[in-house]
Amino acid sequence: MNAQNVDNKPKVQKETKNKIKVEFDRTPLKERLKAKFLSLFFLKKVVWFVFRLVLLVGISYIVLFPFFTKIAGSFMAPEDFVDVTVRLIPKHFTLDMYKAIWTELNYFKAFTNTLLLSASTAIIQTFVCCFVAYGLAKFKFKGNKFVFLAVIFSLVIPHQTLQLSLFMNFRYFDILGIFQFLHGGGINLFGKTITNEFLSSINIFPETWEKFTTEGIVLTNTYWPLIILSLCGLAFKNGLYIFMLRQFFRGVPDELEESAYIDGSGIIKTFITIILPLSVPMMITVFLFAFSWQWTDDFYTNLFFTTTKTLLMPKIVDIPTSLTTDYAGQNLYYSAIRNTCGIMIIAPLVVVYLFCQKYLVQGIERSGLTAD
Amino acid sequence: MTKDVKVKAPKKRKFASLDKRKARGGWLFVLPFVIGFVLVYLPIVIDSIKYSFYQIKVITGGGYQLIPVGWANYKVALLEDPNYVQTLLTGLQSLALDIPMILIFSLFMAVLLNQKMAGRAVFRAIFFIPVILSTGIMESIEAQNVLSGYMEEASGIEDGSGQSAASEIVSTMDIEKMFQGMAVGEGLVTYVSSAINNIYNIVNRSGVQMLIFLAGLQSISPAIYESVQIDGATAWETFWKITFPMISPMILVNAVYTIIDSFTTDSNKVMTFIAKTYQEANGNVLSSAMAWMYFLIVILIIAAFAGIFSAFVFYQRRD
Repeated sequence: MNAQNVDNKPKVQKETKNKIKVEFDRTPLKERLKAKFLSLFFLKKVVWFVFRLVLLVGISYIVLFPFFTKIAGSFMAPEDFVDVTVRLIPKHFTLDMYKAIWTELNYFKAFTNTLLLSASTAIIQTFVCCFVAYGLAKFKFKGNKFVFLAVIFSLVIPHQTLQLSLFMNFRYFDILGIFQFLHGGGINLFGKTITNEFLSSINIFPETWEKFTTEGIVLTNTYWPLIILSLCGLAFKNGLYIFMLRQFFRGVPDELEESAYIDGSGIIKTFITIILPLSVPMMITVFLFAFSWQWTDDFYTNLFFTTTKTLLMPKIVDIPTSLTTDYAGQNLYYSAIRNTCGIMIIAPLVVVYLFCQKYLVQGIERSGLTAD
Repeated sequence: MTKDVKVKAPKKRKFASLDKRKARGGWLFVLPFVIGFVLVYLPIVIDSIKYSFYQIKVITGGGYQLIPVGWANYKVALLEDPNYVQTLLTGLQSLALDIPMILIFSLFMAVLLNQKMAGRAVFRAIFFIPVILSTGIMESIEAQNVLSGYMEEASGIEDGSGQSAASEIVSTMDIEKMFQGMAVGEGLVTYVSSAINNIYNIVNRSGVQMLIFLAGLQSISPAIYESVQIDGATAWETFWKITFPMISPMILVNAVYTIIDSFTTDSNKVMTFIAKTYQEANGNVLSSAMAWMYFLIVILIIAAFAGIFSAFVFYQRRD
């Protein structure tokens, strides 16, 4: 008994003052490798690993390939599109398309306009959705369920169904006839010119406010329809954001707020100082969605911006006049130009995405999203 | 003694109880939405329904006039328009085919992306690119894109038929051969092969669903997996006995979301048809009537689906 123990004991040798060397009695390396790599378990693991890698790389390729072709095509000269030997790598490298889009299609103006619109609506939507979702998640009041149902209702009805009346309502925007009253009744008191001056003085956005008609304010061709919808949490897919944020807030333990209440903090203060800092990843996720969906949106842009005065990103997809051509490769060439427009539209989004993407999954992961 | 109580009682009323204050706070938080919903959204919805029963006449010199026409718009859409019913039927058919595909694919990818492996963050970042970048205007650019197909041909071998091998990822022939021994219907074979060839579309449309599934998978406690592993369950059993029931509420949510999402995208044929009618319509509100009919049908589908499926959904009881 004792002898055996002594045999299996690791041998401890003192190498230096602070170092010891321990020698175990181990199975030989060959045996160990055999046991590790020649088992069915390992084989299964390898097969699964290869299968998974091939699948993931393949699907990544499917996702990325259209972008590769767009980028490759954007550097090609017209000759390359009739040359059979040219596919992905341009022979006549040129930046003509970028130059033409930048100068002739007024890219920079569209960029600043869209940035202003997307950033303002996305920030408003993020905070409003946080507010509404927090109210729905953490407070029990009469009508809570009803309000949540209304949120789902607003998500379910597509805005395309409401196209015509969205346009009509913002063409002559009026809440409960207030503007009509102001216009009809208010003139005698304030004078029409005063009202107009007042409205034009708060005009922070480039477009017209002067159309103050008897039927309401003309809001088309301004940013206001989208800002009003954002302020109410009714803009594109806001129901989804509210739903996601609500699930997230439900996962936040009540004790956090309770301790804040006991310390004398009010409801609003607790929300701003305790809850909002907690939910930054989730808010970035919502912001990213709202920002990029507004950035590339063409439904609302075509609906509310009927003139070309306010140039927005989706409106610059066109063929610049200097690049018009009518030779053989026209179809492919025009397609490449449109693709280049697309690249230039999403280029700023790619930058935003690179910064935000790690929050995208992180935010959702923390939400502990459940459907109950 | 009794007097003391009476004096104290009104004093207490000065402060609303915490519950009441919280109820008030709740209303405060949802106020922006409620105001917007009642004052902006409801009028828009009601107007939209109203318009579908009217004819709009644009008066020269600005303004418009509404002429009630009853059910005429619906009658025209259903009985007289040669394309609407046809488009609607094919649209619903493709909806029925796409939705299971998107759900299965996104669940599968979510399970895959949830596993620990090298480069997971990179793959996740790539997989969510379409959600961010391939929407709205990009979708309509893609619809007119002939360049991508042209470049793809490079990797394939021209066989003279005009259709290169690379334009189809998997040839239908191969799948038919594979399925021959399995005695499954021809419908399934064409369904699978069309789904594989349509993979780009499916990947593009399943981004949000993947996110929701991933979040659902993250919320399953690792302790459950550990205990089944100790009991000797295989990965296959673990998926069907643990993951699937635990994720089933998310499947319901995703199914509803997918239905809503896929019948409002620009690439949806019915939606483009309605949009075209909206642009062409010269003062009539045919598009409103069409949109509402379409919406009602889809709502019925969602209700039926949710009703049937919610019976099978497993909810973990949490205490």
